[in-house]
Amino acid sequence: MNGLDFLFNPQQVAVIGASQSPQKIGYAILDNIIKSGYKGAIYPVNPRESEIGGRKCYCSIKDIDVPVELAVISIPAAKVGQVARECGQSGVKGLVVITAGFKEVGLEGHKLEQELLKICREFGMRMLGPNCVGLMNTHSPINASFANGFPNRGNISFISQSGAMLVSILDWSFEMGLGFSSFISLGNKADLNEVDFIESCADDPQTSVILCYIEDVTNGDRFVKVCSSAARKKPIVILKSGTSTAGAQAASSHTGALAGSDRAYDAAFRQCGVLRADSMNDLFDLARAFSAQPLPLQPRVAIVTNAGGPAIVTTDAVEKNGLKMARFTKETIDQLRENLPPAANIYNPVDLIGDARNDRYHFALDTVLKDNNVDSVLVLLCPAAVTEPLETAKSIVELSQRFASKPVMAVYMGGKSLETGNNYLTENGIPVFTFPEPSVRAIKGMVDYAGYKNNPAVLEPVELASIDQAAAQNVINDVLADRRVVMLGHEASSMMAAYGIPVSHSYLAETEEEAAKIAVKVGLPVALKISSPRILHKTDVGGVEIGLHSEAEVRRAFTRIMEKVRYFMPDAPIYGIEVQNMVEDGVEVIVGMSRDIQFGPLVVFGLGGIYVNLLEEVTFRLATALVTREEVEKMIAETKAYTLLKGYRGKKAADIGALTDSILRTARMVSDLKQITEMDINPIRVHTKGVTALDVKITIEDNDH
Amino acid sequence: MKALYFSGKAGGGKTATALGVGMKLKKEGFKVSYFKPIGFRKGTVKKDDDDVILMREILKLPLSCKTISPITVNDQYLTAHFIKELPGLLPRITEAYRSCQEGYDLVLIDGSIEPFVGANNGLDDFSLAASLDAAVLPVIRADNDFQLDENLLYLDLWIAKQIQVIGCIFNNVDQAQWIKSNSIYRSTLEEKGFPVLGVIPRRLEISSPTVAEFYDALHGELLAAPDNLNRLVENVVIGTMTIESALGYLRRAPNKALITGGDRSDMALTALETSTSVIIFTGGLYPDVRVLSRAAEKGVPVILVHEDTYSTVENLQSVYRSIHPQNKEAIAIVQETMDKHVNWKPIFDYVRG
Repeated sequence: MNGLDFLFNPQQVAVIGASQSPQKIGYAILDNIIKSGYKGAIYPVNPRESEIGGRKCYCSIKDIDVPVELAVISIPAAKVGQVARECGQSGVKGLVVITAGFKEVGLEGHKLEQELLKICREFGMRMLGPNCVGLMNTHSPINASFANGFPNRGNISFISQSGAMLVSILDWSFEMGLGFSSFISLGNKADLNEVDFIESCADDPQTSVILCYIEDVTNGDRFVKVCSSAARKKPIVILKSGTSTAGAQAASSHTGALAGSDRAYDAAFRQCGVLRADSMNDLFDLARAFSAQPLPLQPRVAIVTNAGGPAIVTTDAVEKNGLKMARFTKETIDQLRENLPPAANIYNPVDLIGDARNDRYHFALDTVLKDNNVDSVLVLLCPAAVTEPLETAKSIVELSQRFASKPVMAVYMGGKSLETGNNYLTENGIPVFTFPEPSVRAIKGMVDYAGYKNNPAVLEPVELASIDQAAAQNVINDVLADRRVVMLGHEASSMMAAYGIPVSHSYLAETEEEAAKIAVKVGLPVALKISSPRILHKTDVGGVEIGLHSEAEVRRAFTRIMEKVRYFMPDAPIYGIEVQNMVEDGVEVIVGMSRDIQFGPLVVFGLGGIYVNLLEEVTFRLATALVTREEVEKMIAETKAYTLLKGYRGKKAADIGALTDSILRTARMVSDLKQITEMDINPIRVHTKGVTALDVKITIEDNDH
Repeated sequence: MKALYFSGKAGGGKTATALGVGMKLKKEGFKVSYFKPIGFRKGTVKKDDDDVILMREILKLPLSCKTISPITVNDQYLTAHFIKELPGLLPRITEAYRSCQEGYDLVLIDGSIEPFVGANNGLDDFSLAASLDAAVLPVIRADNDFQLDENLLYLDLWIAKQIQVIGCIFNNVDQAQWIKSNSIYRSTLEEKGFPVLGVIPRRLEISSPTVAEFYDALHGELLAAPDNLNRLVENVVIGTMTIESALGYLRRAPNKALITGGDRSDMALTALETSTSVIIFTGGLYPDVRVLSRAAEKGVPVILVHEDTYSTVENLQSVYRSIHPQNKEAIAIVQETMDKHVNWKPIFDYVRG
């Protein structure tokens, strides 16, 4: 497997901590390697034994006269460092450290792990683990793990952050007839992590689909970069746990994983073409589909069934999943009408009725697969009295092979009586399910993946003129110098101006007189807003007054605001009151950003105003995705705000082009200025021509914390 | 020999002002001493002892702490024992004072925690200033208009007792009060004939408590980063919300103390990704070892207390910041801020005149 060949296909492997005694892990590992049919040289290492199972046992890796490519280590944690050093000195390329007792047990273990990592780096060794179950490859073959069993050979690679889950899946896979190319247990991910293996499996000719179970991503940027290109080669399906609040807490306790925002994961996966499984079932259903079937060109599904009820359920699922029911050509319909009993339904779903035997299935399937309007087929079979599950299965297999460019899946809705048919389908590469919904979900996954793969790679990022990064950086520096992290309104306005985002500029007034003067300068009518880093919801504390048409009104409003705010928030530090010109009408939307700890700036767009937290009619993207007009327009179109922008109930259309430009600039700003941690432009008002940012909140951080 | 009384409400910055004045005059060649007739002790918080040690160090006074600060009280000081001692207190004070002033040009006298403390027996600031023949430099703390009124009443009392008022100083003025202090409050005092010598802004670097003071107040167990107790704590955040809402909230509070339950690994780990000075776990719930590893990596102290969150927050109300004599930066900040904001002429006139 290219760069990690010394792990998956080593010429020599040493088992350090190998043992005679069947209770020990060191015994299991050695036994597994031998039983897997590994063809290279095996060297047990254990100073207490002179031979194990007829093989010579060495005192130390240094005593082996040839350099060994891979060392599997299962000895007490405190000794691992020293042994790793010996491995490095002997020219070992890869380590699989099974031993537990490192970062996962606390401070002491953490230190040990750091030292171990240092030793690996010193000698240029790569390490899997520590605290892992090991790894397996069915093609080499090699089983460098202490798991019970070895998977059937196939083309699925499974990378897991949970060793326990890995051994369960291994055991289950035999029943399901699933075949794997690699099984990898990540352990503590001290060195090699999910991204390294995704990258390597993507280039592995024996792998057709990559599955992952992870609780966190080690390096978000690298993840997106590697997966974006890996996903073009092979489908990647990831189950990431910790989506619920309680789950996130559990994940934090399990691996010390940081609860990054789940929305950021969604946005990241979407951006790099990774499919996200929402359950363990989902993960393996998708695996089965990708492992055996071709990608559908389009989302048009045909259903062939001997039972009407389940067909309706399936049809519902097709629509629910955003797929389409294929509309047959006239030829197909005519063919079906001629050759099927009058009671049969010839439009999609094709209902062959309860007395259908194999011949009817064969004919219908053949006809439907021929139709150019059909991209994928689901065959439903219920065990009626005269049904022929095994023969039908053979037809399905034969036709699927004949029409090799269209995916075919079977839904055999029953139990024991369908077992032989079931097994036949499984053995011959047709994914078979007991109920229809998961099969539809699998098709959807394939359609989504095909969509990503067939789209050309991201176009050139748009050039944005009039951007003054230095000016924005100066504002940030000044705020930090004032020992603040929350910007005041007028400071945030300056940031907008620096990046060419039209803003209704606000000016800070400390007294009524000043406010009146500024109002005249910017032009009446004006709005006044309290300026305080601690007051986030200004309207709630009487901190906003709008539509002030004279200097006198401005002065009175100034006093009123000060009194109200003091009353509701007496301890809030007040810098003054911001005076802002009133702006023409428009559709109010929100453009915001939060810097995700793993993936960096996550941008949100949607309906704005004070009810944004209540309505949550919003959509997310990583800022790195928002570099072309097309992507921004797609994002806008995902929310109901789009309907308003196009002109709703007699209103004129709003300037979506200008809005797109502002979103591009926002994405650029948060990508350029890494000290911005949170930003809220709410509302940004989209007029018939142009946009204006009305209220901007920015939080920054001093990166030296 | 001149004496200058620094009198005002608790938390107004009396000692810091005295420190600033002392250092300035010392630089100009005057021999400056320090005296604190009545100290204050609440529980085991040792603030006043720390102030005495600080001034003694800075001014290099060859006097014992007991001489510099002969009497200590708390808000339940009228015990039977104390009442018996009362007649002898004033002589003890004047005796100690004599030792402090001998050979010096100026004694800085630090007022009681509140100007009225000891009024039941002629030991309040006003009476003592008269007994010790001092002028007064009132240090005004006015967080709201009621407190301004209170200070005005005290000023009237200084006049009534015929103590010379050199001028007032507003110290530790928060951003929230800045505009008002410089406009309405200042002009009110000056109209009444009380010159305002300076309005000094609060500097978080010297007025914020450090983790060490929190540790002292909490009596908890220190679980990580014991060497970083000198970190400043500028915000206190109680972490009980969901993680989705937490991140924005945590980011807006730099150099914070995070108080949360030991079972909230997610909250602690998220806080450690933002600017955090200390994590306090309440309810005696020992946190996950992985959280401690991460805290150690980041150099953030972790304290475990057995009280619940509410009691812990209550305990933290009594945390004061003490400036240590070795803290050159803090002392430099005091000097620099006072230099910038104080009109020194009336003070010099008094000392020289």
